[in-house]
Amino acid sequence: MGAFEKLDPLLHNQLRLAVVSLLVSVESAEFAFLLENTGATKGNLSAQITKLKEANYISVEKTFRNNYPLTTCKIEPKGVQAFESYVKAISGYLKR
Amino acid sequence: MSDFSEQNPLELINEMISVAKRSFVKMSYYFLLWGWLLFAAGLTEYLLRTQLGYAHIAWIGWPIVGVLGGILAAVRGNKESKSAGATTYMNRVFTYLWGGFVVTLVLYIVASVMHHTNPGPGIIILTGLPTFVSGGIMRFKPLLIGGCTFWVLGIAAHVLPAEWSSLLFCLALVLGYLVPGYLLQKAERDGRV
Repeated sequence: MGAFEKLDPLLHNQLRLAVVSLLVSVESAEFAFLLENTGATKGNLSAQITKLKEANYISVEKTFRNNYPLTTCKIEPKGVQAFESYVKAISGYLKR
Repeated sequence: MSDFSEQNPLELINEMISVAKRSFVKMSYYFLLWGWLLFAAGLTEYLLRTQLGYAHIAWIGWPIVGVLGGILAAVRGNKESKSAGATTYMNRVFTYLWGGFVVTLVLYIVASVMHHTNPGPGIIILTGLPTFVSGGIMRFKPLLIGGCTFWVLGIAAHVLPAEWSSLLFCLALVLGYLVPGYLLQKAERDGRV
């Protein structure tokens, strides 16, 4: 039996994986979009976004719209690569 | 520490990708908007030119429809982009494709007017390109067929007498914009595209 590939601990978390999966599918997404579609709390989502940003998996831009702060996230090439590796690795686990 | 007790990771990924697909712009609105407006302008031109004896102002519907359609499309597009919460690659492709088409169209019309030639047949052929490409990107066959319809009727407009071109454009709009537009609207509501 072949060895199991190591799972990226940063992506092997439900909320972080949900965020990265959304960002892989769009060009950019606002914080509110991520909040609505992950069902997370603001604090938890904010914390996980920070972890992904520190790992350079995503980039975060803070601007304003109609005088309200607007946070927009975008996947980075490192994040795309990590996501692809994770999908390949987890597929191996789930096939067995 | 992982917390996938509730959901298989691959199921979660597929679910999030489906969610992201719902933020694609609803193109059917634009095909129906422009389909009906341009149809009205084309029919107006045909009636003014051939039935009512006002050939000298038969063109009047086009700029009115162009401005009205432009405003309505811009308002809708702005509202959609603000409420979507996400920008997608597909939306960006459509923006440049149709934006480039509009610029090309305006330049073509200006050049035709300068040379005192009827731009109608050329406009029909030109419209086939973004329609066909949109159908290909969305993998939506009625729009692919719609694009081809514009090409065929555009050739017909070059061959047939000039007074037929606005009627042929109306027919092309029905087959190339309106029918695919209503089918697309249903497919969007059903989540099939």
